[in-house]
Amino acid sequence: MDSHRRTTVDEALPDGQVFPDSAGVAGNPLNGTRPPAMDAEAFHAASERILTAINTVIDGKAEAAKLALTVLLAQGHLLLEDVPGVGKTLLAKTLARTIDCSVSRIQFTPDLLPSDVTGVSIYNQASRLFEFRPGAVFANIVIGDEINRASAKTQSALLECMEEHQVTVDGHSYKLDEPFMVVATQNPIEMEGTYPLPEAQRDRFMARISMGYPDKDSEIEMLETHQATSPLTRVTAVVTSADVAAMIAAVQRVYVSQAVKEFTVSLGRATRESAMLRLGASPRSMLQLLRAAKATAALEGRNFVLPDDVVSVAEAVLAHRIILDRKAASTGETPHSVIRSILAKLPVPQEMSAAPSRGGRPRGGTDLRHTR
Amino acid sequence: MTMTPQRHSGPGTGRTSEVLAPSTAPAPRPRRVGAHPWVMAAAVAIAVAGAALSLNGVLRGWAWYLPVLTTVFVVALAMAVLRALRAQPFLVALGGFAALVFILTFTFFRRFSIAGFIPSGDTMEQLGRYLRRASETVLAESSPVAPNAGIVLVTCAVLGLVVILVDALAVPLALPATSGLGLVAILVVPAMVKPQSVGPWAFAAAAAGYLMILACSQWFAPADRTTADTARNPGQFRRAALTGGMALAITLLLPLAVPGFDQGTFPQGSRLNPWGSSTGLNPMISLGNSLRSPAGDGRITYATSASRPPYLRSVTVDRFDGDSWSPDDRDPSRRVGVGRMDTGYEIVADEQVRQVTAINTGRFTSPYLPAPYAPDSVNGLAGRWSWDPATLSIKGVDTNSRNQQYVVQSTAPRLTPELLSQSTTAVRGISEEFIRPPNNVPDIVRSTADTVTAGSSTAYAKAMAIQNYLRSVEFTYSLQSPVQGGYDGNGLSVLADFLTQKSGYCIHFASAMAVMARLEGIPSRIAVGYAPGRSTGGTVSVPGQGALTEYEVDSRDAHAWPELYFQGLGWVAFEPTPSRGMVPDYAAQAFTPGGAGTNENNDDLIPSNAATPGATPETPAPLPGLDSAGEAGHPLTLPLYGAAGLLVVALIAASPRMVRTGLRSRRLRRAPSSAGNTAAAAWAELRDLATDYGLAPGLSETPRHFSGRLRGSGALGGPDNADDAGARAVASLTADFERQQYGPPPGHTDGAAASGAAGAAPPSAADRIAVVQASLRRHSRPARRLRAEWLPPSVMNRWGRMVTAPFRAIARAAAIPAQAAARSWRTVRDGLRRLRQG
Repeated sequence: MDSHRRTTVDEALPDGQVFPDSAGVAGNPLNGTRPPAMDAEAFHAASERILTAINTVIDGKAEAAKLALTVLLAQGHLLLEDVPGVGKTLLAKTLARTIDCSVSRIQFTPDLLPSDVTGVSIYNQASRLFEFRPGAVFANIVIGDEINRASAKTQSALLECMEEHQVTVDGHSYKLDEPFMVVATQNPIEMEGTYPLPEAQRDRFMARISMGYPDKDSEIEMLETHQATSPLTRVTAVVTSADVAAMIAAVQRVYVSQAVKEFTVSLGRATRESAMLRLGASPRSMLQLLRAAKATAALEGRNFVLPDDVVSVAEAVLAHRIILDRKAASTGETPHSVIRSILAKLPVPQEMSAAPSRGGRPRGGTDLRHTR
Repeated sequence: MTMTPQRHSGPGTGRTSEVLAPSTAPAPRPRRVGAHPWVMAAAVAIAVAGAALSLNGVLRGWAWYLPVLTTVFVVALAMAVLRALRAQPFLVALGGFAALVFILTFTFFRRFSIAGFIPSGDTMEQLGRYLRRASETVLAESSPVAPNAGIVLVTCAVLGLVVILVDALAVPLALPATSGLGLVAILVVPAMVKPQSVGPWAFAAAAAGYLMILACSQWFAPADRTTADTARNPGQFRRAALTGGMALAITLLLPLAVPGFDQGTFPQGSRLNPWGSSTGLNPMISLGNSLRSPAGDGRITYATSASRPPYLRSVTVDRFDGDSWSPDDRDPSRRVGVGRMDTGYEIVADEQVRQVTAINTGRFTSPYLPAPYAPDSVNGLAGRWSWDPATLSIKGVDTNSRNQQYVVQSTAPRLTPELLSQSTTAVRGISEEFIRPPNNVPDIVRSTADTVTAGSSTAYAKAMAIQNYLRSVEFTYSLQSPVQGGYDGNGLSVLADFLTQKSGYCIHFASAMAVMARLEGIPSRIAVGYAPGRSTGGTVSVPGQGALTEYEVDSRDAHAWPELYFQGLGWVAFEPTPSRGMVPDYAAQAFTPGGAGTNENNDDLIPSNAATPGATPETPAPLPGLDSAGEAGHPLTLPLYGAAGLLVVALIAASPRMVRTGLRSRRLRRAPSSAGNTAAAAWAELRDLATDYGLAPGLSETPRHFSGRLRGSGALGGPDNADDAGARAVASLTADFERQQYGPPPGHTDGAAASGAAGAAPPSAADRIAVVQASLRRHSRPARRLRAEWLPPSVMNRWGRMVTAPFRAIARAAAIPAQAAARSWRTVRDGLRRLRQG
């Protein structure tokens, strides 16, 4: 596990690891509050604690754990999609447990009603008033299990909450707590009697992760440790929800240069222009891609985003939003392979008009001086 | 192709559109494109129209210039309008092409088209006729050609296409510098055809237009490369001056340093004669080229009944006024049909000699027909031919001399010195043109003529005095010295130079004698054709004559000689050129030094020819001609040339290394004040270094990934012989670059100061680059090291890209219609499929 992480976190580079103080420049744009940003060392320690805690529960899935944390810090929602029994729900529950915050879990079934998710106004006999009974969505982390088993009606009830961080019942809007994150799981194999998520809903999840089977050693270890009791019971919260809010604020302060913005946009445009895709990445996905890249940069202890950060989250963020062309699908391409091939051809802006290659490079934009 | 320059709103665009737009862009559209299309179109039109000025002299007069001007401006205007309407670049080019077709139709085929400008079937028919006519003109006529409709049509069409090409290069392809190619394509024609080359005015106009194109493209669509940091750099002017000066120096010095620049392919300095023996040019001009051509093209074979091979005469030159002499065709007075010809003057000699000559012209192409003087009749010709009663020159009406086999009957009086001496009666019965002395004769010509002929009374004596003077040892035959002296060709000023330098070839000798004879009152003209040829060893049987010896001549035998008129005897040829031709018996009287009789043509000039060993015993010393001059030059020049050549080779071999080193030092010498630039420049240098050592960064590779690959590849030392210093230097260069390129700008937040302080500790970028370079050197194999130093791939790739850039641009441009075609085909196919299913 440890060696695995070293390849992604590059200790050899003396990066600018100092985060700016909480000067209050950026706040949370969603609820208007301005939690103090966490400084770099505390941020690093907190993220290490969370990841270590998750990794003691789920063996050999450090990458998935890190992506889940990235999504949390980027204020996105996570879709876990894999065959049954690889630990989707376990990951979601572990992540929720490591943080000292409210957690609710909804097991989606075909007969689940929207009001079960959002809440309902009930007539109180005693006070003779309608009283709002909050639904399952009123929690910091909402685990939606087997989300594709619920009807479209119920799924769409979740939509408003996910996008706007609020619930509207009987014409009254209720704000949700921050941080707020939906971790949904779904099973792609057994599709009988399910309602596959429509594109609009898939687009609201920041990232989709496939867990994948663990490797041999991890599986053996899992058999040993998980024999008697569930390891989940041993997990205690390692950070508070205030800590998470401060971490989110720190992520928001990560600097994104013009070059990286243009790289991100050109990646999005490339998916829209690709002949292999019927539907490319939406502008919203660009926003989420950049947010995820910012969280990645922060997790690596940097106060600015590199193209590498964008590349590292691009597959997870984009793959579930794009739709393959029929021909590409028939030739065995997958959304992941298409994104990989697009990334392999996409020029990375890294020269300040140093090379005379007028041809292949997109015009302009490599020069920061125009942007200041 | 979508990079329309209008999008770049440069710093000056607003101002210029205020200054330039009001007259040209009448209705301000919501999205203004500014004055750019109009100014650019004007620049292109001026450049092309200016370059077209140089065609005066290739085409006679100026009548052709008006249609050219209309075509050029209409095409440029059409493209400007389309561009102002923001049409796609491809459509702009297409529109220009359509405008060209319309204006050409309107100018040339108004009566044969729909509505006066839309081409129809009739137009195509006419077009074919015009093109045939143009091709005949090109093949057969000498320059300057008469501007007939065919040739003007072709000129207009070509210039219109050049406008489209120049415009396409300058605007959508954004290669304004390359657009000069189109202008050069125009200038090459007069440079090759005209003796005065392009001419200063045309060159200045073309250059001005070209500079305007460059200025416009820089003004409206500044290149990133030049605006980034050099625009305000005061070194820019110095660099420009240096580059220009070096280019000029190389242009001037290279011809001196490269041996053989004035012979072989470049017979006249840099003036080419790609047509070989084809004399669709002024024969007087091409003569020098023909003589200098080493191969000998345009072989003509002939067999004659005369005892000696005759001179073959093509054309005469009789007007000695003006800068450049050329044959006067006298087209109005020409008579068609060469079955019977007549000299038109009276011959009183007792004995006339008749000759029959069968000539095969082979691939010799000329409007004029070579024939021995004076032809009575010519039989066996294909096509229609006409003859000039005044000069008996034979010219094709609708054909040329290529692949003609014909038999010439010629008659000439048997001349003797006595006969010629007796011809003292006043000249009459010939045109004034042959008698009138030229205007503005240089003093040296007149004084020389008077000195030489002093003491001679009769015309014949004067002629002999002039001939003997020119054949005297004072004069040397040389094909080279007029070129070096700058007076190749003909004309009175050239003649004066010749008499001063006393060195030249047949043109100079013949014209000197002809002009001096006229000054002395003897009618004269210059005949241009071929000196007597060599025997091929074979025989040809001619009907009525039996087997005759066959002779051959080629371009090396091209010759000019004077003809003087003697009353009662007609035009008499003389031979003032030493070592060439054959001095006729009647002109060889009392003459010694030059090897009177059979100087078996020009064997001494052409070493490859089988030399005649028993060469004229009465020649004590061969005339100091080309050979001796060449010998004298060799001992000194050869090592000089060798050294210069070696130097050039060494320079070429070392240039990639020099370029690479220069690039490196320029990048690393950046002022430390611009810290951002330093990191980026050092990063560019690191990329190039890695490229040189075979680890080229990919286009889609992030800096961090590339850095990791470089450190992990073993190029900086593998795990066993780890070179931490190199890897550390790479890592810190990467970090610097990343922070500079992607990190917050200084002053963004207070946190940036801390990160800047962290980066200040490591050594300077130049030192780190040096460490990396040393490490790469140490851990690479010798072959790779050698290549990295002498043929660095980073430089070679860049040059390769530069060379292929135009082709790639063309390919990109071509891909657009191809894609459109593929798209529409898909649409059609899908539609058909749907139709079949539904």
